Amino acid sequence: MTMDSVSASITELPPATPHDHAPPESFLRKYVFSLDHKVIGKQYLGLGLIAVCTGMFLSWVMRYHLAFPDKAVPLIGWIAPTFAAGGVITPEFYLQLMTMHGTIMVFFVLTTAPFAGFGNFVLPIQVGAEDMAFPRFNMMSFWVTFVAFAVLVAAFFVPDGPPLSGWTAYAPLSAVGKSSGPGEGLGQTLWVIAIGIFCIGQLLGSLNFIATTLDLRAKGMTLARLPYSTWAWFITSMIGLIAFSVLLPACVLLLLDRVAGTSFFIPAGLVVSDAIQPHSGGSPLLWQHLFWFFGHPEVYIAIVPGFGIISTILPAVCRKPHLGPKVLIASQLAIAGLSYMVWGHHMFLSGMSPSSATLFSVPTLIITIPSAIITLLWLGTIYGSKLRLNTAALFCLGFVSVFVTGGLSGFFLSQPSIDTYLHGTYFVVGHFHFVMGVAAMFGIFAGTYFWFPKMFGRMMNETLGKWHFALTFIGVYATFMPMHWLGLEGNVRRYSSFPSDYMHGSLPLHRFITYSALFLGASQLIFLVNLIWSRFRGPVAPDNPWEATSLEWSTTSPPPFDNFGGVHPVVYHGPNEYGVSGPRGDYIMQTDPPVAAAPAATA
Amino acid sequence: MSDSAMTAGSMHGAAMEPSPFLITSRKLTMWLFIVADAATFGAILFGYGYLRFGSPNWTKPFTFSPNIINGLVMTVVLLTSSLTMLCGVAAAREGRSGATMKWLGATILLGVTFAVLHLREWTGMFHEGWSLSKNPMGGSVQVGALFFSITGLHLLHVISGVIAITVIAIGFRARKFTAGHVETTGLYWHFVDLVWMFVFPLLYLLNVR
Amino acid sequence: MTTTETATEPTLRVYVYVWLGMLAIVAIEAVLVYAHVSSGMLLASLLVLAFLEAAVALRYFMHLRYEVPLLFWTLIPGLLLAFVMMNQFWADAARLNTLRFPIP
Ligand code: HEM
Ligand SMILES: [Cu+2]
Repeated sequence: MTMDSVSASITELPPATPHDHAPPESFLRKYVFSLDHKVIGKQYLGLGLIAVCTGMFLSWVMRYHLAFPDKAVPLIGWIAPTFAAGGVITPEFYLQLMTMHGTIMVFFVLTTAPFAGFGNFVLPIQVGAEDMAFPRFNMMSFWVTFVAFAVLVAAFFVPDGPPLSGWTAYAPLSAVGKSSGPGEGLGQTLWVIAIGIFCIGQLLGSLNFIATTLDLRAKGMTLARLPYSTWAWFITSMIGLIAFSVLLPACVLLLLDRVAGTSFFIPAGLVVSDAIQPHSGGSPLLWQHLFWFFGHPEVYIAIVPGFGIISTILPAVCRKPHLGPKVLIASQLAIAGLSYMVWGHHMFLSGMSPSSATLFSVPTLIITIPSAIITLLWLGTIYGSKLRLNTAALFCLGFVSVFVTGGLSGFFLSQPSIDTYLHGTYFVVGHFHFVMGVAAMFGIFAGTYFWFPKMFGRMMNETLGKWHFALTFIGVYATFMPMHWLGLEGNVRRYSSFPSDYMHGSLPLHRFITYSALFLGASQLIFLVNLIWSRFRGPVAPDNPWEATSLEWSTTSPPPFDNFGGVHPVVYHGPNEYGVSGPRGDYIMQTDPPVAAAPAATA
Repeated sequence: MSDSAMTAGSMHGAAMEPSPFLITSRKLTMWLFIVADAATFGAILFGYGYLRFGSPNWTKPFTFSPNIINGLVMTVVLLTSSLTMLCGVAAAREGRSGATMKWLGATILLGVTFAVLHLREWTGMFHEGWSLSKNPMGGSVQVGALFFSITGLHLLHVISGVIAITVIAIGFRARKFTAGHVETTGLYWHFVDLVWMFVFPLLYLLNVR
Repeated sequence: MTTTETATEPTLRVYVYVWLGMLAIVAIEAVLVYAHVSSGMLLASLLVLAFLEAAVALRYFMHLRYEVPLLFWTLIPGLLLAFVMMNQFWADAARLNTLRFPIP
């Protein structure tokens, strides 16, 4: 379908309200310091892609070492001669790899790609706007995030290397400085600064998303007619607004501890490397409280955009309306509220007051209810549908699967008595890789296969896509499922190897996981090839290849600079008009004129 | 002047759904920023409470003269600056450019006074031996650390506010900014005042010897 | 245009009354400090007064009273929820006193 055929259904207005910035001419303005939300969205996704490749490489080195503790890791001696001379992984270097892996993945992949990346590209089009409410803030938000990434990666190139305190940077290890280990000098300082900068970037983004969703909606786009992905990005922004504003001062205080001699997070009488520390009166638990006050909402910042992406794609591939849209939104709002009430479930074993443990355990159990409701709504939507099993659909099904798998282990972890045993083990690693890592990645993949035609005007290859899904799905379960068994066996996490102690018996399972991880990583090459090949050689995409309803499909692929080519779209329908009979077939687009809805009932 | 100078397409003409709050995007965004900033101050004040509650050797540094008197003067100055800001916004809305400049000028002056009084107090404390990591009274080092970092964060907001009001005032006279800009800046300024309403009792009044 | 910077506008006199009221609250706070109340009582009353001032500042200086109610419901309850939840910190702050090593 072309632009012309839809424009009949879009009220044409005189272009008296031009895009506030004219299409840019220079290369720098067009691709680098662009104000266009579509370019910024792609920049975020590009940053995410670079970050995910880096993060995955680091995980391979870790996995190889875990499986073959006495062997030198190939290549790494050549890449990082100062840290791993001859490819030998020291326990410290293992922790440094782990810290960077976690930080890069959580902050620069799972937060930037599904939220900032897809949100930036899709949200303004879905609400019918020409751009974000504040394009300059938007550009700043990306570049601030980019600087944060650069500062973090710089930690690899300072003398002692990156920090080793994990993505949670627990004090006092992260606070006392150089003496507590390699990377705890400049490397940790860079980490704190990077995460502080990252908070600012995401706050700018959140403000923009909220203002755009509420204020720039096209005529007829009532809140009830917002597509579910837009709702999800909106709710995510509301979560992020408070979460990142709490992490920011926490990072400032940690930085002061490191550079200004304060002791906010350092207790008295702490002995590190045989030297008593010149600090007193602080509390490491305070850092954990502040960090997890951000940290639990953060895991929902990573996953709620995935909810929205799945809920947008599912009706389009099932060709029937999403079950219970109001319940869907209400559940996500409930999750947003509850996500601020559960953070202490990460601290059951930290010496937190046992009475608070109960107070955190109950809301943690309650938060599974809205998550379960959302899952059931998806299953109900899929049930009895004429599913079009394309790659995006497959990744949606995969998302539901891994989210349930990961969510189930959450039930166990939310009981303090059980978590006391499981907290320090691979069980938790299995839990969050399923529910956060893999689920959010599946959301990213589903979104990529779904919106790629809109972004680049070309279709992705379905055969490669299906292979990519099948191998990824197998690889994911093979890699992360055995971790639950390891955890139940008592295999501790954050250890660099288990050479000759009581954990030695788990080595065969570790080898299996490593093989699976390498296999999983290799299958991502299919995705990379598909991306690059389709970008240049893929068949030209029509405007609405999936016969979907939301506004981004009523403009060209890719959309023009002002998204709708000088017209202001007018919306007459909700996003959920599938399985009806209209002039187009079994769906009615949001911009279709209202008359089309009438005969639907009689069909 | 239309909002398009700042925001793309935020002209709520016939082509758009009205904002559910019936305010401009700019003002909404300032409100959201204030909520975020309130969370920042809230978190850091909770941190103060936490460490203070957990410090048996807490010492109270302040005496009525000079600290509390100085603090009361600062409070009155900041509260009054909110009043002058309101007058400035009212004048800007009525298009009285001269009056606007006068009131905004008064607000800037009061803001600067606050900052100067604050810095003078800080210097006095430095001379007594207080710092981020030292307590001359021999008690918990958290006293200075928390006092300077929290009031420092607030002072940073005051200084940014003074700069913002100056920029907006100059722009308003040059007709580059509207009464709406003045009002949005005022919103921020009142928030800085609001935060002080917590910082003053919690950090000064609760620390009187 | 339905969108305006503000809806109704209170008169300057209202602002001056509010300003005087806030000054009065500050004065009460200062008197309380020297009134020999117990420290728990002092903390509680200072907090109540501070929240009172904040509410007044929000409602009048920041015009929240004159905006559509939805704005209040969007901005404030979520923030308050966050602050209410942060009260979970206290249990651990209290434990610091019993669990900490003596300061060398
Ligand atoms: C179904 C509801 C869920 C429940 C009941 C739940 C419960 C828990 C609990 C109790 C822990 C702490 C385990 C420990 O450290 O000992 C935990 C850890 C974790 N969860 Fe969940 N969770 C749920 C959903 C999620 C979701 C949706 C995500 C992310 C999108 C997520 C991400 C994480 C992460 C990243 C960690 C570990 C962080 C670390 O220690 O490094 N969880 N979960
Ligand atoms: Cu959690």
